[in-house]
Amino acid sequence: MSSVAMAAVDQADDLRGRFLTFYIGQTIYGIELLNVIEIISVQPITPVPSLPSYIKGIINLRGKVVPVIDVRLKFDQPERAYDGKTCVIVVMVEDMQVGLIVDLVAEVVSIGDGESNEPPDLGKSGNCYLSSIAKIGDKVILNIDCKKFFQSDLQLY
Amino acid sequence: MAIDPSMEPMLETFIYESTTLLEQLDEILLSSEKSKSLTEDHINEVFRIMHTIKGSSAMMEFNGISTLAHAVEDVFFILREDPSRLTSVNEALFDLVFEASDFLKAEVESVQNSGEATQDPGKMITELKQLASIMRGEASAAAQPAQEAAPAASAQPAAGNAPQAAPGQYRVKVLFEEGCQMENIRAFMLMSQLQDLCDELDSVPANPQNDSSLCSEIIKNGFLILFKPSSSVEDVLNTIENSVNIKTYELLEDEPAAAPAEPAAANDNTNAAPAPAAKSAPASPASPAAAAAPASGKAKQSLVSVNQSKLDQLMDLVGELVTTESMVVSNPDLRGLQLDNFQKSARELRKLTDELQDVVMSIRMVPLSGVFQRMNRIVRDMCKKLDKQVDLVTEGGDTEVDKTINEAIGDPFMHMIRNSMDHAIEQPEERLALGKPERGKITIAAKNIGGEIVITIADDGCGLDTAALLKKARNNGLLTKADNEYTDKEIFNLIMLPGFSTNKEVTEFSGRGVGMDVVRKNVEKVGGTISIDSKRGVGTTFTIKIPLTLAIVDGMELAVGNSIYTLPITSIKQSFKIFDDKQIILDTDGTEMIMLRGECFPLIRLHRLFNTPTEITDLHDGIVIQIESGDKVACIFADELLGEQQVVVKPFPSFLGKYEIKKLGLSGCTILGDGSISLILDANNLLGMHL
Repeated sequence: MSSVAMAAVDQADDLRGRFLTFYIGQTIYGIELLNVIEIISVQPITPVPSLPSYIKGIINLRGKVVPVIDVRLKFDQPERAYDGKTCVIVVMVEDMQVGLIVDLVAEVVSIGDGESNEPPDLGKSGNCYLSSIAKIGDKVILNIDCKKFFQSDLQLY
Repeated sequence: MAIDPSMEPMLETFIYESTTLLEQLDEILLSSEKSKSLTEDHINEVFRIMHTIKGSSAMMEFNGISTLAHAVEDVFFILREDPSRLTSVNEALFDLVFEASDFLKAEVESVQNSGEATQDPGKMITELKQLASIMRGEASAAAQPAQEAAPAASAQPAAGNAPQAAPGQYRVKVLFEEGCQMENIRAFMLMSQLQDLCDELDSVPANPQNDSSLCSEIIKNGFLILFKPSSSVEDVLNTIENSVNIKTYELLEDEPAAAPAEPAAANDNTNAAPAPAAKSAPASPASPAAAAAPASGKAKQSLVSVNQSKLDQLMDLVGELVTTESMVVSNPDLRGLQLDNFQKSARELRKLTDELQDVVMSIRMVPLSGVFQRMNRIVRDMCKKLDKQVDLVTEGGDTEVDKTINEAIGDPFMHMIRNSMDHAIEQPEERLALGKPERGKITIAAKNIGGEIVITIADDGCGLDTAALLKKARNNGLLTKADNEYTDKEIFNLIMLPGFSTNKEVTEFSGRGVGMDVVRKNVEKVGGTISIDSKRGVGTTFTIKIPLTLAIVDGMELAVGNSIYTLPITSIKQSFKIFDDKQIILDTDGTEMIMLRGECFPLIRLHRLFNTPTEITDLHDGIVIQIESGDKVACIFADELLGEQQVVVKPFPSFLGKYEIKKLGLSGCTILGDGSISLILDANNLLGMHL
């Protein structure tokens, strides 16, 4: 294997088990760093008609048109005006870039295998977006499963 | 990426090369079949094509393709040795080679899609072998009549005292226009033109320039040129054809086998030379650039084949450049400054980017002749199967469109031609009984009008039966108003509604359940429109309008609240302010309409349609823009016009694909000079939604 490929594998290994954490209100969520492309400040958003309310519209990311989702609204929480701390986390799902609007980006944490648990099974009414729940120190981090999170948007009908 | 990266580029080359060659093959076969003969050049060409395909497919280990190509090659090898054997198998040969060409095309396509060639050409190979053995079997017997035919053929030339041509030599008799005078000098000029193209050149009478008394002889007997072409005989014939003051020319041949070719050559005189014209074209459908350099061996070397993804990338980059340029030039930091030199340089830059854009666009342009060519083939096949006689006339095949458009319209065309052939054109007897010419005619014509390509497909068949269409539409539950309220045009448009074509009767060619609605969808996908005109008993005409290019449009920017929408200039009829309340009419549902010079148009308020908050809701404060698409017209209402700008159309992110934004009348988005995003309005959908 070439050294470049080796480096790529190393890097992927490096990112596994590492999560970017962000706040929505007082709750801390985590998203796997492998999916994250970049973090940008909130840009002017162009609304697009006929979209569900949580998809705020599209932004211009250096010439690329990227849709943005307000995570608050997606989680059925009250909308809140964007401020200096509001960020857009650009993630990659199925080769598509999508921006997630969050209240505040916190830090990158490593979560070992022993530190996280499966989310409790809440039946049909339960929140189905989580992949695991981790406890680091006195903080509880709800880890989001990107696939499940975007499922309703990716299904065609 | 591919599993074996070393094979990938080769596979691509193989597919490209084979498709090109097969299209060339079709063209040769079609033109030869028409003239019922194969010239030596054509035989060699087919032989070469098959040989190349055989070699490259063997290299790629597609054995089916390779063996079939080999079998065809064998047949043409026999022909090459002795062209006279063609007569024994004429029809069968063409049919079989067409079949083989179809098979190869299907295989190449399957290679393209799945990387494998799966079909077994066994049956076709046996048939080809049989054919070959027929040709060979008769070879000994055929040799005799061939020789007998020789003197007969040589007696045929009108100029009876003409000297016999040496092997490989051609003789052309040229007749000059009557009364053009100084025939001897004209003959000499012709000779000097041909000098470069021929290894050997002679004439009867020899050295005409020295003796003006030869004029009368040339007028009477014609001017006979004997030559041995250095490259191809076509080049020479083309040169002769293009020379001035030549009334007719005629290729005289001594070889008995080529005798049937003579009528074809003679045809050229009267018929603006269909055969040579077709001969120079074969390369064109496959490699469009080659068309620009007609059949000249030297020009070919300057062609480069480029991967399309690179062209797309180049196009994207130019798009970015255009955007960035307007970002710089209309930068808010410069507002209010007096910058004469800057403006001057900016104009320079604009000129250059415009030019660059034009060049990149032109690279992507390919002539329609390729698509037209394929239609020829369909007409030929269907004529045979349906026992109909139809001529396909194509006009404007050199009209160029963007490659993506060219690809997108192939299928709709095929479908429409099939429809015309199958349903519209009557059987020959029926046509004669109706007082129409026995042979039906389908005309495809392409024209470049303004920023659009207008393509018409017209047949002289039975036309659409409005009563039957209405009945069918009612049975399918597609009618929304009473029968007698439908205009003819509306009735014709019914056939393009989804759910109309529910033909239970599936013929081989049309009515596979893929109706005209798919045609319309395909045309609309590339931003085009389609309309139908028909007269019972006289014929039907489909008119398709397609924008020249999709990527960059001239747009008018409209403000609605804080949003900016871009409306393609081509769809704007006019814009105006409303001063008079009488112009605004409300119907019983409260739908607003605008009265304009005695005509009423529905009004679409953009802020309501797109739910955009704005302070301008009074019709007197904003601006009304009249838009049109196809034959539909409506007015839209916006806050104000911001100005005209060239914009690069970007599709909506595929993430939003689920929400069917396009149905709302938005075709895409674009990034404006200040980095903000503007949504592009689509007049076609806007109107479709409201009318």
